[in-house]
Amino acid sequence: MSQDRNSPMHGVDTVAIDWALRMADPARADWDAFTDWLEADPGHAERYDRAAMTLLDAEQALAAHPDVPVPIEPEPVRRRPLRWIGGAVAAALVGAIGVTAWQDRPQPYAIETAAGQTRRIPLSDGSVVTLAGLSRIELDHAEPRRAMLSRGEALFQVRHDARHPFAVQAGAVALVDLGTVFDVRLGQQTRVAVAEGAVMVDPKGAALRLDAGQAVTVEGDRLIRSTVQPDEVGGWREGRLAFDGAPLGMVAEDVSRFLAQPVTVAAAIATRPFRGTIDLEAVRHDPAVLGPLMDVKVRRVASGWTLEPRE
Amino acid sequence: MPPTGLEAVFLANRDKLVRFLTARGAGDAAEDLVQDLWLKVAGRMDGPIANPLAYLYRAADMLMIDRYRSRRQAELREQDWAEGQGPEAPPGTERAVAARQTAEQVAATLAGLGERTATVFRRVRVDGIAQRQVAAELGVSISTIESDLRMAAHALAALKERIG
Repeated sequence: MSQDRNSPMHGVDTVAIDWALRMADPARADWDAFTDWLEADPGHAERYDRAAMTLLDAEQALAAHPDVPVPIEPEPVRRRPLRWIGGAVAAALVGAIGVTAWQDRPQPYAIETAAGQTRRIPLSDGSVVTLAGLSRIELDHAEPRRAMLSRGEALFQVRHDARHPFAVQAGAVALVDLGTVFDVRLGQQTRVAVAEGAVMVDPKGAALRLDAGQAVTVEGDRLIRSTVQPDEVGGWREGRLAFDGAPLGMVAEDVSRFLAQPVTVAAAIATRPFRGTIDLEAVRHDPAVLGPLMDVKVRRVASGWTLEPRE
Repeated sequence: MPPTGLEAVFLANRDKLVRFLTARGAGDAAEDLVQDLWLKVAGRMDGPIANPLAYLYRAADMLMIDRYRSRRQAELREQDWAEGQGPEAPPGTERAVAARQTAEQVAATLAGLGERTATVFRRVRVDGIAQRQVAAELGVSISTIESDLRMAAHALAALKERIG
């Protein structure tokens, strides 16, 4: 089992859910270990009951209504036009933040990283932003609950406060945290991925809620949902980049943030999907390792490296 | 004639099952419940059981989940009563509509996770197919199945938090 979280009341109780799944699976059920876990804390039984009942009720609802269709393709969410945070959205947020923040003078500052560099930025409210390489974030000492990512990628570990939501403007997309760890990347595609808790994307428009293990990619005026492994979100901090079908162009863009010199992709294979995990340390040591991993030819060029189709 | 099969396993492991039920939230009622458990499984015997002890444990586990559900429903009824919403459960048709809505929300939540994850959850958890077999059907690894199930379960728990 993963780490024992002591606050089952807050959000989703991942520990209890893991037990509920495990004990329903004859191949993995270990009743002695489960008894030990139950005996470790008198509150565990009820946490397990709640998780197990939630799953059983969902399953029974599905079993009782086999005609309820499951769309093969998740419908992309149509969005109303995005609004910049400086307008009506900011006014609404200021209302939530309260008078004191409003009276404080803005003390904006920006932090930028070079390629290959990452930077941990603790904020005065207890939240932490980790900035990937080749990235830029704009913050304000007077308003620690707001951030604008204007380039690159950042992982947000937000100290949740329902009365003072943490707002992120990522390019053209507005986000509000609902309690949480999430990653935002800008580039050819803007992507938001949630590791813990939840995030509201475009709160004034589509108001799409993302829970742990969910991600959204912004393409034009559409939000396209996908799934991610929660523990792979922000994996770049440990030197890991995991992809599940991202186009090579986007993969190269991501990898380049962590290298001194960029990796580019030949147009012919830029949209080819890639599935796998990249060890950044190995790539830093020798970018040629990308060759067998992605089934491409890695060629040294003046500015860095380029990925080309294999002959 | 000495007891055989499931009954022998039950008798040999009665203390363990009592310990489990106690930890599982039954407290002092564990001794009574272990008797209820035996009456239930003994009356429902059909065909050989591959792993009788695991079967008994799971039956005990389900017994406790049912008890939890009854307790929750009683609490909700009391709450409705206290809040003046009336003690009546919704009439049959309303309840049927509500159940269908729940099914639709569950299906939509699963669909939002992607086709494979939704299929994995349905095959394993609703159709009751072994994880190994579902992995073979879909051409993915067991660990992919496990992580899909976990993702689906987390999303359903979040849905439950939202709609109560």
